[in-house]
Amino acid sequence: MNNFIRNISKEFLLASRSGLEVFMPVMYLIIIMIFFNISISYVEKKIILELIPLMIWISCLLICVLNLESIFKDDYEDGTLDMFIVNERNIEIDIIAKVTSHWLLSNLPVVIIAPLLCIFLGLDMNTSSVLFITLLIGTPTMSLIGSIAAALTISLKKNKILISIIVLPMYIPILIFGTGAVNKSYFNMNYGSEITMMIIIFLIFLVITPLACGRAIKLSLD
Amino acid sequence: MTDPLLEVKNISLSRNDNPILSNINLEVNISSVINIHGRNGCGKTSLLKIIVGITEPTSGEINNNILSDDNKNITYIGHKHGIKNNLTLSENILFEPSIYHDKQKNIDHMINRYQMDKYKDYLSKNLSHGQQKKISLIKASLSNAKVWVIDEPYSALDKDAIKILDSCINEHLSNQGSVIMTNHEPITDKEYKVVNFKVDCE
Repeated sequence: MNNFIRNISKEFLLASRSGLEVFMPVMYLIIIMIFFNISISYVEKKIILELIPLMIWISCLLICVLNLESIFKDDYEDGTLDMFIVNERNIEIDIIAKVTSHWLLSNLPVVIIAPLLCIFLGLDMNTSSVLFITLLIGTPTMSLIGSIAAALTISLKKNKILISIIVLPMYIPILIFGTGAVNKSYFNMNYGSEITMMIIIFLIFLVITPLACGRAIKLSLD
Repeated sequence: MTDPLLEVKNISLSRNDNPILSNINLEVNISSVINIHGRNGCGKTSLLKIIVGITEPTSGEINNNILSDDNKNITYIGHKHGIKNNLTLSENILFEPSIYHDKQKNIDHMINRYQMDKYKDYLSKNLSHGQQKKISLIKASLSNAKVWVIDEPYSALDKDAIKILDSCINEHLSNQGSVIMTNHEPITDKEYKVVNFKVDCE
């Protein structure tokens, strides 16, 4: 556990020294929503309100994909990943710490800002809070899935496109359940099953990811 | 007679059907220094990576007898130093999991020994290649690792730093530790005994 906290503190310290980079995902989200609202301003208000949470969900998903590459890249380039492998010490804890700090730094700000944006754009409190819950479960799952692709492609110089190709099909179930729950909440329907499914997917990848990532990193370094 | 800390048995390595290493046998005993030498591209670094477990050999095995020990680890310094550019020297050491941080005195002493006091609060990206190498050597010296595996330890170091590294190696040997290193040439001019092991190009 000590190692886990130490790794996360290190990532936070590094992020604090990387300038305004940590605010980029939130900036992307705000920019997408501004453009989205400008482009559909002629559409009926009721339809816009239905589309906003779905649009936010898709934006968050794409923002997640954009920053996946950075999970292991620096560690690969400076040789830190080599140290993960040497001694066969608990590489799984290191990986979970990396994914957790990546999610906290890159995705959590988006998860917090997204429902606030919804409220600002006129959506009701209930749907906004469901959007928050679905993003809170969905984005860490996407980080977990994405980290496997990031580990697999780490030794490739330009791996962004490959990562996207690998992860996007795997994100479809999360997108379906996430947007489904938000949509149902908007129409005052029961969305419990969608949330349950999202939690199940999250738990599955919480178990699979450290093992798969560990193997993928080893293969990439070999 | 005690078992060797590490045994390299019939290690072979090929890449895309090109043989790089074939039938390498090596024993690393307590308090010994192995210098793996050979020309560029002969597979010295690959052999080190096989020894530390980063690379899987095509055939052969490594018997690691240190793993049964409590202070088990191997420390590895490759061409990439494992140092974060945006962290200071002190922070790079602080976040190193293999170092016992209750021994702050040792940490200060080792930084002082490598003449890096002045640079404690410098970001690593502002240090020279040699100074960054010193940070990785400080990390190795502070870890409780029994075996230090260092890829070209003397490259990028000045005369004083080489002397300091040699004295640290001497101390490590007296603490029952061992060192595996690579160089381009055999080593003959050290105070400690070095077993030179030549890797021939395939």
